[in-house]
Amino acid sequence: MTPGPMTPGMTAAQPRPATGSRRAGLAGLGVIVLGWEALGHLLGGTFLLAPPSAVVGYLVENHALMGRALAATLTNALAGFVLGNLAAIALAALALIWPAAQRVVTGVALVIFCLPLVATGPILRVLMGPGDGPQIVLAALAVYYTTLIPLLVGLRAAPSSWFDLVRSYGRGRLAALVHVRMRAALPYLFAGLQIAAPAAILGAMVGEFTGAERGIGVLTVRAMRGLDVEMTWAIATLATGVAVMAYLGIGLLARRVLTDAPPMILAPPAEPRGRSAGLAAALLGAVSVLAVVVLLWGGGLALFGVNPFFAKGPEDVLAALFWQPDAAQTRATLGEALVETGVLLIPGYLAGLIAGAGLAIAFTLLPRLAITAMPLAIALRSVPIVTTAPLIVLMLGRGAVGTVALVAVMVFFPTLVACLHGLRQTPGQVTDVFDSYAAGPLQRLVRLQIPAMLPAFFAAARMAVPAAVLAVTVVEWLATGIGIGTLMALSASVSDHDMLWSAVALVAALSALGYAAVGAVEARVLHIYAPEQSR
Amino acid sequence: MVPDPAAPPGVVCTGLAKTWAGGLVAVRPTDLVLKPGQTTAFVGPSGCGKSTLLRMIAGLEQPSAGHVLIDGKPPAETLRKAGLSVAFQDPSLLPWRSVRGNIELALSLARRPVNRASVDQLIALVGLQGFAEARPAELSGGMRQRAAIARALATEPQLLLLDEPFGAVDELTRQQLAQDLPRIWEARGTTTVLVTHSVTEAVMLSDRVIVFSPRPAEVIADIAIDLARPRSAQDARQPRFAALVEDVFAALTRGAALRDAALAAQ
Repeated sequence: MTPGPMTPGMTAAQPRPATGSRRAGLAGLGVIVLGWEALGHLLGGTFLLAPPSAVVGYLVENHALMGRALAATLTNALAGFVLGNLAAIALAALALIWPAAQRVVTGVALVIFCLPLVATGPILRVLMGPGDGPQIVLAALAVYYTTLIPLLVGLRAAPSSWFDLVRSYGRGRLAALVHVRMRAALPYLFAGLQIAAPAAILGAMVGEFTGAERGIGVLTVRAMRGLDVEMTWAIATLATGVAVMAYLGIGLLARRVLTDAPPMILAPPAEPRGRSAGLAAALLGAVSVLAVVVLLWGGGLALFGVNPFFAKGPEDVLAALFWQPDAAQTRATLGEALVETGVLLIPGYLAGLIAGAGLAIAFTLLPRLAITAMPLAIALRSVPIVTTAPLIVLMLGRGAVGTVALVAVMVFFPTLVACLHGLRQTPGQVTDVFDSYAAGPLQRLVRLQIPAMLPAFFAAARMAVPAAVLAVTVVEWLATGIGIGTLMALSASVSDHDMLWSAVALVAALSALGYAAVGAVEARVLHIYAPEQSR
Repeated sequence: MVPDPAAPPGVVCTGLAKTWAGGLVAVRPTDLVLKPGQTTAFVGPSGCGKSTLLRMIAGLEQPSAGHVLIDGKPPAETLRKAGLSVAFQDPSLLPWRSVRGNIELALSLARRPVNRASVDQLIALVGLQGFAEARPAELSGGMRQRAAIARALATEPQLLLLDEPFGAVDELTRQQLAQDLPRIWEARGTTTVLVTHSVTEAVMLSDRVIVFSPRPAEVIADIAIDLARPRSAQDARQPRFAALVEDVFAALTRGAALRDAALAAQ
């Protein structure tokens, strides 16, 4: 042991991507670009696909327009990013100071996160006028939940002996917050911020779809209407590139600031110690969440004195659904639209999950392929898939296949990354036990690696529920003309506000319930396969 | 008589007991008087409740019955003055702080001025010179324990509570640490409580060994260790040392038998 300053190579706790895997990732990217170029020339004249050379040509030619639009979008995305993450930090602080409120805080936060952006967009447009307001709010809405959840985990992630240490010097909760919790939560905060960066761009773009004056979302709508293939591909490439760069940039910052890597998986926050987790507690939590949501909704409208013609409160929605003369008609219309959406959403969601987990498993059997795929998948996870919706519509048409494919792709990348990560978590000593019995790779996979992967898989499946709902409603609204997304868009444009608010309430409630249902399955799985995570 | 604030305190436990929320009895009512400046070892089988007893003395755990007095005052008062230090079984170093940073954290938590030179001196004293700026992840297990001891000593506590401080390292490193580190607090005349399940370590380091039964903890034997100080590794080969170790082992065996008899009677 030679005394002296440590070399960076000795920081064992910091797994940096090896240059080998980075090179492999670049090689993979190169192959994709070349394939894309070849396909573009092959399909030339079919109005489907513009090759990279044409995309670059378009971007160079229209750099002034693109630059202005991008600057407008990024400004709004940044404002939403800051506001949304500040809101997340404030909510996490509330749950920390008042642990009994955590269940209600996360529940209400989830319901608000599940509000369909394609409907909140037009509503905000009516309320806030033609400026930047809706884009900023949608960007904030798109980011705050994925920061709140890891932050709640992170603030409780420190071992109890660190808190004993603080107490042994006669100091209280404030010192523990400053010296232990805040720093221990930092990797988790960065995990949230990293996911938030592309999501903010997505939120701002969806806001621009709803009738903004400037931004790449506005140009996307224009390109789609004009069937301008080059422009559509150019904008999608630009949005993707910027989102990936924002994601990688925050990752880079995290590696400079942190001593250990941010967590890859958004695990569910544990209930604060001493809370019962029984059925009665869950039921009470659900009722409290509902009460707070209704209070915020009705109270918010009254407080801001919004015009009751287009702002409907909880009692208006109940009336529209149950005791107005045309309630039966409203229910039938909503039911029909929900079924249209569901038959595309559920297969797409399941296909994305199966493809993500399946590919991850295939990679473990072919480890050489995984070295190339992992960095690429991590980068592609950050792509706001919704911004590529126009491309999928171009290529697969406005029918069922396009919608299912978009939802599946939206679910696929986060699932793949989480599962690859989960498969790596297999404890080495147990692997040695299997080796000592000369178990084959298939045995090891089935009995060891897949069970070890399950917690990550379910964490991804849970977070994918709102993402899938977002994808399906956006593609219905932009392209296919069916389902609940279209119903919301139509109701907004013909000022049928009873229908619009009913649809919003229903979609938010159903996605929150879907999230909770996957979360319940996850809790059971964690209880069996990772009891240390389900305390 | 007003006690000298710089002098090491005595600790008095009266009827001290702990029952966990589920009804599990961890510590039976215990009376103990620890003399100022002495090192007392708590020895007992794993999970017997000796660490709980230590945590109650440290004021980290509320007793279910009885009370602790440190220099005639409850532990909360000693904590407020940052008059004691605890070294935990797991070194509990904050991973984002260097060795120096961890020691300085203890000083600032204790609201003491941070003197760079004296921190350096302390780091050298525990044998970590050259590693002041290293983070815990860059250190071996033994080096982390050294850093944790340095942190515990930084505030110059009059009462030092050590919860298996050499527990998480291999036997050779453990012997080395037990050789190097206790000299520091012995020289300061600190009142020390050491929880351990190594009998030789207890005999080597203490003035007195208290043997506990399996859970719930109950004092089985109170053995004075009248070996001259300073002690060295060679002393472990003396017949007197061997006899004391034998006494402690005999008490531990008696405790286990007592518990078995109680179980058989049920």
